[in-house]
Amino acid sequence: MPYLKMDSADLPKVARKLAASGARLVLPVREGDERFYREGADPDSLDLTTIPKNSIKEFLFPKTEKILRYQYRGKDVTVEDVPPAAAGRTVIFGARPCDAASLPVVEPLWNWDYKDEFFNARRGATVVVTYACRTAPDEACFCVSVGLGPSSDQGSDVLLFPLDETVVAVRFVTAAGRELESAFAEFGKGEVAEEALEAFRKTGEASLAHRKKFDRVQGWLEAHFEDRLWEEKAFRCVGCGTCTFLCPTCHCFDIQDESCFDVGYRLKNWDACQFSLFTLHTSGHNPRDTQPKRYRQRIYHKYAIYPQKFGKILCTGCGRCVAHCPVNLSLYDVVATAQERAERGD
Amino acid sequence: MSDRTAGIRAIAGKWLQDGTVEAVLGWEQGTYRDKTAPVLVRKAEEVDRLVFNERCTNNLMTYLKRDPVRSLNTVGIVAKGCDIKALIGLIQESQVPREKVKILAVTCPGVRNADGKRPVKCAACDVNTPVFYDEIVGEKIASNPDRAARFRDVEALEAMTPEERHRFWREQFDKCIRCYACRQACPLCICSRCIAEKNQPQWIETSAHPRGNFAWNLIRAYHLAGRCIECEACETACPADIPLMLLNRYMAKVVEQSFGYEAGKDPQTQPPLRTFKLDDDNSFIL
Amino acid sequence: MENIYKPYLARIEEKRKETYDTTSFKLVFVDDEVRERFTFRAGNFGEYSVLGEGESTFCIASSPTKKGYIECCFRAVGRVTKSLAEKEVGDVIGFRGPYGNHFPVEDFFGKNVVFIAGGIALPPVRSVIWNVLDLRDKFEKVTIVYGARSVADLVYKHELKLWEERSDVDIVTTVDPGGETPEWKGKIGFVPTVLKEVAPSSENSVAVLCGPPIMIKFTLPVLRELGFKEEDVWTTLENRMKCGLGKCGRCNVGSVYVCKEGPVFTAAQIARMPNDF
Repeated sequence: MPYLKMDSADLPKVARKLAASGARLVLPVREGDERFYREGADPDSLDLTTIPKNSIKEFLFPKTEKILRYQYRGKDVTVEDVPPAAAGRTVIFGARPCDAASLPVVEPLWNWDYKDEFFNARRGATVVVTYACRTAPDEACFCVSVGLGPSSDQGSDVLLFPLDETVVAVRFVTAAGRELESAFAEFGKGEVAEEALEAFRKTGEASLAHRKKFDRVQGWLEAHFEDRLWEEKAFRCVGCGTCTFLCPTCHCFDIQDESCFDVGYRLKNWDACQFSLFTLHTSGHNPRDTQPKRYRQRIYHKYAIYPQKFGKILCTGCGRCVAHCPVNLSLYDVVATAQERAERGD
Repeated sequence: MSDRTAGIRAIAGKWLQDGTVEAVLGWEQGTYRDKTAPVLVRKAEEVDRLVFNERCTNNLMTYLKRDPVRSLNTVGIVAKGCDIKALIGLIQESQVPREKVKILAVTCPGVRNADGKRPVKCAACDVNTPVFYDEIVGEKIASNPDRAARFRDVEALEAMTPEERHRFWREQFDKCIRCYACRQACPLCICSRCIAEKNQPQWIETSAHPRGNFAWNLIRAYHLAGRCIECEACETACPADIPLMLLNRYMAKVVEQSFGYEAGKDPQTQPPLRTFKLDDDNSFIL
Repeated sequence: MENIYKPYLARIEEKRKETYDTTSFKLVFVDDEVRERFTFRAGNFGEYSVLGEGESTFCIASSPTKKGYIECCFRAVGRVTKSLAEKEVGDVIGFRGPYGNHFPVEDFFGKNVVFIAGGIALPPVRSVIWNVLDLRDKFEKVTIVYGARSVADLVYKHELKLWEERSDVDIVTTVDPGGETPEWKGKIGFVPTVLKEVAPSSENSVAVLCGPPIMIKFTLPVLRELGFKEEDVWTTLENRMKCGLGKCGRCNVGSVYVCKEGPVFTAAQIARMPNDF
């Protein structure tokens, strides 16, 4: 089946059209030497050069959000719902495949028996137009290690293939994606054969051929909880939340109340298992009292616990944790070590 | 291999062999681009992991506040002039006994960040050849500090009206995600329970909204005023690209003008905001 | 929109200071429909909140056989519990729940039930005790061994008396050596030691146990010696919890989420967990 062909220079125009209906538009833009996904940016500042520093997580799971409002009247208090912020229609235009794929990965958690309607409302109203990677945009990328790839369509409604500097092929993946066809069709310049996309996919994967496949990691982790690996590898971790907060799939949170006199809000805020207080009991006991134990929890959650519970790895190999860790503690290195040891039977 | 790397390995090996230190904290080659990474070497056979090059940007003194380094009796630390200023600060504040740390100083022509550029501190550096150390490697480098470079961006800030400045910082702090990478990377953020981690009472809102972020970033800047040695570890670590050093250098300029004090120079002095003397100059306050 | 983070509102109908730092409440839901509909199982927990301070996790200390209200008992140690302890009768607090799994009380039918608790850990066990006593004829022998550091640290003292007065319950109370008062008529000794003396039969028996980690550590071997199988020893774990919904990522011990797959576990299940406590 052939795909729509268009000029990459017209992509900002498509984005502008999609935002015209009043949708919240999220795009990667340039700030200084970096790229960030930002909402409300001018479509003409669309910058698809490389993977943005932040992930799209904050647009579905904000770094802080009000989840209810309370009001005191004397001894009495009432609570009211607060509608989920930014739950109107959202178009994420130019997401990387690793970011798009994070959405189906985290959905089971937000709906594990109890349905988090804050996330669901935004997920239901969000459409993702993904920009596939011709080659891995950064040295830190390892999406192929976790079963994804630079052309993965997981979580995407529309998938854009930059066949070269000027030509983009467009694949409408889902029904929601097909609803956007008219916005693209106006800029269509013919068709691209399916074979071209095959070649594109192979080029992308070749650029990541050096990355190990993490297919034995879960089993190794389940058998090596007390291994010395954590002490050895996690020494240099300083316990900041950079890896956790930049990660598209990390979702741990804190609940806080903030008042102003007799009115206040309960909020849901990003939190990180890397912080020393994360599991601290009021009694003073802390099950994870050293950084190696906290780091172990991060790896286990992503590569053993989440797969056990939901059948998916809680990681899309975007590489942000590797690229931006202030002390170059590479999650890829640590997990690759586990994989190697599993392969060696060690 | 550079002379400095060879020199560091030789001294580290000697210290570990003869038991001068239990471990040596230094840098090794990283695995992402040209990054280096902190490493703790406990055996003489492992000293070949140690390197020194212009990507050795982390301030290793930050490890003194955490285990395992905190619990060591003696540790050798490979350090540039700017890193040593942090240790001087820690010694001034009785956080680390002088005898615990064996300083393996290295002469440094300047480092480069991930973007290939030299940080501001290098242009203004006057400790290319450290003066406070136990052993030193590398050829002597004469300092040629560009004093104007140090406060150039601060002057641009000072030229703004208060409203413009408020708007500027509001925009910057909106980006903050409260990951506390700044605090964790900073060698002088040493509180065993940070003010942001206290909830009886809750001094600072932990939420990453503008009000909470303003509170956090300003309080950190205040707690560092007169103590910050401008190693830029915070700004380098910040994943939200907030110009933290602009604020820290602004505070340093105010402290210098008000108290005539520069942090990290002399272990015998005390940061002005940590001490009270009867003859403190109050003329600019009253 | 259903908001899983929104608490029910409950009014404090009774407040009792159990010890110098422990308070118990009897709570009635403000909303009539909630009051009517609300059900739970012994072992469930909730997130109790003071709107403006935050939420705190503890069990429901009353039995599901009692309708129209729930009870809780907590120690004032942190921001939220200290604020809760200052609330008065008539004040309104929040409650989210019931969360977690429960003690399989029906599986205990026809068996002897041995309750062992220490200090502030009586409340979760109390929920099961009353559940059993309210259905007394379904069970065989009921034994309770309860102890605390000192007489002042015993909670639900008035109920200990009630249970002592019942002929269908064998209760032994104890305080740690040095914790007795001149008037104290109960035993003096650590709970595991007293349990060994009481030596309840393990034949056709289950044990329901809760206490501080040190007490559990020394009680499990006693139960084993008495012949209790690990699958028949039930306990409830405490861990740092926040959402109670399996989402905030805090409470897991290895791959077990205490808020979803617990907090009630058998000793056999706990033995299989990694050292992530």
